[in-house]
Amino acid sequence: MTAAAAPADGSAPELLGTLAADRATGALTTRSGIFYLAAGHVVHVESAHSPALGDLLTRSGALAPAGWWEAVERAGARQRVGRQLVDSGRLTAGALELAHLGALFDAAYFALAHDGTALRFRPGVAHWLGAVRPVPVATVLRESYRRRALLDRIWPDPAVDTAPLTRTPDAGPAVLPPRRGRAFALVDGGRTAAQIASALAHRTFHTLVELRRLAADGLVAPAPPAPAPPVHPVPGAGRADWDEPDTALLRRLLDALEAL
Amino acid sequence: MPGIDESLLEAMRLPGARGALVVDWISGLALGAVGEAPGGDVEATAAETAELARLAMESGALAPAHAGQGKEPPVEDLILTTADAFHLLRFVVTTFDSTVFLFLSLDRADGNLALARIRLAEMADRMVLG
Repeated sequence: MTAAAAPADGSAPELLGTLAADRATGALTTRSGIFYLAAGHVVHVESAHSPALGDLLTRSGALAPAGWWEAVERAGARQRVGRQLVDSGRLTAGALELAHLGALFDAAYFALAHDGTALRFRPGVAHWLGAVRPVPVATVLRESYRRRALLDRIWPDPAVDTAPLTRTPDAGPAVLPPRRGRAFALVDGGRTAAQIASALAHRTFHTLVELRRLAADGLVAPAPPAPAPPVHPVPGAGRADWDEPDTALLRRLLDALEAL
Repeated sequence: MPGIDESLLEAMRLPGARGALVVDWISGLALGAVGEAPGGDVEATAAETAELARLAMESGALAPAHAGQGKEPPVEDLILTTADAFHLLRFVVTTFDSTVFLFLSLDRADGNLALARIRLAEMADRMVLG
């Protein structure tokens, strides 16, 4: 591997496979996320479409925001924030691993969505969180494909994942399982699945599962399109259509920060 | 303060233990595995036990949600008994969004179901609470 950032044309799954075989360390950026690898294993994944680990922990009340930021401040430069949270007694190793794996697989699903194009690989780049529980690349890829198939088995309408959602006219006060009920309560004709997940401090994929089940039960449907500018489907994607304006802005910001 | 692997290894020290997993019951993903999965396939075991766990968790008759407000899951554990095994699922309660359970498969001749049930509950708590 050269020290310079390598432009990475090709599909992200293919490139991840190569990087795993090379036992590479660095960050691979796709259109919708970033994979951090260490010695060919996935140590962290981020995506603008799924809540970050810090948000999952602090917004649920599992960890005080001050505790999270203190750990970032103390151990971020050494890339040992995860370790710091455990060593300082703020989280058990088990809680950190569960939360981290939850966030990792959630972000990976979205980082591989869209057209799955790898944009760039930066060798040697490590995430400030540090290694918590590295996962083989093959496991991450297989799980992402499995998740896509799972959603389609529940209700094969990908529009549920991206469009603002509304309650159907027959959606009365149904008795729902707790998680589904909490997601349903936030369906208001304006929020998208990602916004509902964020409001609940839940992982986005797990929210998609509940929303697709609600759609399958006829309780929730994509809201009729507003007479606003049309959404352009990504050619060949046919599934995810995450290009909300704020997402594009976030992505530009992310790119700018990375370039620093 | 044990992590996933330490918790699974501890579960495997119970008499008659054959295999232990940590599984996400919404995605069906195994987050950790030690020992032998029933049928020899960790991924299949994870997916199938997740489906069982979900049905139990969403059973309005057996485990009604308390108006959907409590964070506590309505089910604590599940026991499935076959001719030669006890299979035990224990839900792990976390403040953050996790949806996981500990799964332990015991040899029916050597296993002690009552003991395993108590220990697994303790392990599930210790893994996330310290």
